[in-house]
Amino acid sequence: MSGFELDVDAARWRRHVAATVEARRGLVPVIKGNGYGLGRSLLAMEAAAVGLGTIAVGTYAEVPGALASFAGDVMVMTPWRPFFTDAVLDDRVIHTLGRISDVADLAALAPSARVLLEGETSMSRHGLDRHELAAAVAALGDLRLEGFAIHLPLQAASGGPGRPGGNVAEAESWAAALETSQVDTTTLYVSHLTPGEVGALAARRPQLDIRPRIGTSLWLGDLGALSVRATVLDSHLVSRGEHIGYRQRAMPRDGTLLVIAGGTSHGIGLEAPKASSGAVQRGKLLAKGGLEAAGLSLSPFTIAGKQRWFAEPPHMQASMIFVPASVTAPEVGDAVDVAVRFTTATFDSINLR
Amino acid sequence: MTTPASRAALTVRPIDASEHLDFVRGRSSVSFLQTPAWAAVKAEWRGESIGWFDGTTIVGSALVLYRQLPKLKRYLAYLPEGPDIDWTDADLARWLTPMAAHLKAQGAFGIRMGPPVVTRRWHAGTIKQAIADPVLGSLSEVPADELDDTAIGVVATLEQLGWNEIPTTGGFSAGQPKFNFQLPLAGRDEDAVLAGMNQLWRRNIKKAAKAGVEITTGTRDDLAEFHAVYAETAERDHFTPRPLPYFERMWDAMTAEEPDRVVLYLAHHEGDLVAATTMVRVGTHAWYSYGASTTAKRDVRGSNAIQWQMIRDAMAAGATTYDMRGITETLDSDDSHVGLIQFKVGTGGEAVEYLGEWDLPLNRALHRGFTTYMRRRG
Repeated sequence: MSGFELDVDAARWRRHVAATVEARRGLVPVIKGNGYGLGRSLLAMEAAAVGLGTIAVGTYAEVPGALASFAGDVMVMTPWRPFFTDAVLDDRVIHTLGRISDVADLAALAPSARVLLEGETSMSRHGLDRHELAAAVAALGDLRLEGFAIHLPLQAASGGPGRPGGNVAEAESWAAALETSQVDTTTLYVSHLTPGEVGALAARRPQLDIRPRIGTSLWLGDLGALSVRATVLDSHLVSRGEHIGYRQRAMPRDGTLLVIAGGTSHGIGLEAPKASSGAVQRGKLLAKGGLEAAGLSLSPFTIAGKQRWFAEPPHMQASMIFVPASVTAPEVGDAVDVAVRFTTATFDSINLR
Repeated sequence: MTTPASRAALTVRPIDASEHLDFVRGRSSVSFLQTPAWAAVKAEWRGESIGWFDGTTIVGSALVLYRQLPKLKRYLAYLPEGPDIDWTDADLARWLTPMAAHLKAQGAFGIRMGPPVVTRRWHAGTIKQAIADPVLGSLSEVPADELDDTAIGVVATLEQLGWNEIPTTGGFSAGQPKFNFQLPLAGRDEDAVLAGMNQLWRRNIKKAAKAGVEITTGTRDDLAEFHAVYAETAERDHFTPRPLPYFERMWDAMTAEEPDRVVLYLAHHEGDLVAATTMVRVGTHAWYSYGASTTAKRDVRGSNAIQWQMIRDAMAAGATTYDMRGITETLDSDDSHVGLIQFKVGTGGEAVEYLGEWDLPLNRALHRGFTTYMRRRG
């Protein structure tokens, strides 16, 4: 224990990965970004270890690393663009195409490249309109079509406004469109469908080979196998009104000031827009007003069963945390639990135990 | 069209019927609703032929039908399946702006038109598969086999110029249908067209021949016989038949323009008339326009036989498109309209989507009043 670390109960974590691979036939593991906190190369090796032949990465920047650590095929989920300077043209790479002009451009640049066509779903992010499919097929030339991909919104099952039936209905509509289109493939890659939804879709579309692309629920599906711990590097008794830190802020009460490993470079204190925005959630945030009014905000470090307050904004590699005098503070060298958003966390070390 | 000289402003002015007909004859085809003769068919509307001029050269034409507002000297100007202008011109304003000015000067409070522009096409095989798929309920949900980006661009231009598309339900509007079914004939011979039909169509055509169904073309005097069968069909299929004089007026006006503009087909079996149809042709485009069949002797398949004769005659006359006209958008196998699509799909043709009908209000208050009036009228 020396810094900001992730401990993995390797046997338990691998059990979940293997069980997911077993339960979700044809899955393609998504290995992108920070590798869900575990690192992309570790995940690539785990994917190989459970016998998977294809992995999906987010961007072309992630392709060279994936090719180096994985012997199978590497699918790129961000659609190829002619202006990408880092696109890797390798026979193990499967490109995604979402615009007719891109199909024609890639066919000219790399005539025998392996490709997926992507349909534009209610995500409205990337992809072809269903009425463009024939033109896209015409533009394929000698490109090798390996499948069709759709990316659905997160909100599963319950239909949102304007989307009666939700993801399953939208996926089935695309499956039907694929079957009536000129797109000559029976492989459909889907994202963000529950196992039940994929099962229902596969049962209703037996001609299609439905392949789910899965990241979070594969790698982070059993959070109990993962624990994040940060080392207490220093501890100081402080009194009310004492000025501390870079910003020489006055402490609101007597207590202990802890210096703990883990700062902005680890992903601490970086806020993404909240996924949950319900009334209850907003109410909770308001209710935390007390110490926020004193200029403090809640940290992800848990001490004596409670999340504690930052004494000042997190530093690059460590954080200063205030613990009131009524609580027994941990000793220097002790580890404390940290709640992290794995997709933005970077660890000093990952320990498979 | 891109040389600077041709970018000069276009003028629009009335032309006489013979000038209009000359222009139509010089075109590959225009809709039969855009021929000068059609004005005579639509007696309750006042017709006017207009031309677009680049200097002294006529470059476009239209038949405008004026419908008077009750009690007011103000009109809706309607250009069914028109105007016949260069819809691929990126600068459509130079065509439509002088047209609107002219029609406004004629007392129009609003303009309605149906650009003869095809946006999407679906092949027979695609439609057949889509009908069989319970998830796909309408053509719009089925990937089109052909998509015309230029045509789709026209939508944005029309909206910029203040035109509004008239909403349709299921592809049926008060005006001309947005979705149509067409059998392409260009570069195909009879064997190829027959081979493109489904087995049921081929079998029924053979069956009719074997049963001794005879197809003949009729004269104006045979219209009464046609009309009797047509009235029977109307009763069976629950639509309101047009009176015989309507067909006689149509016959007189259209055959005066071209002797074979409209042709009456009669299918007899052992002396009994079992089916009767009309076919209209303008240049390379032939339309199956009205059809009727008796309830008796349906098993001799007069309908298939008469269609096949019309298709062969259209080919012989140099038509590149055999148009079976409107279909609904529905692919729902529980919808009664789907049978009509299935009948047409059996020819191996394609569904085409037009741009639809568009309105330009010139006087908002009157236009709104008219829209409400039409809606009440149903």
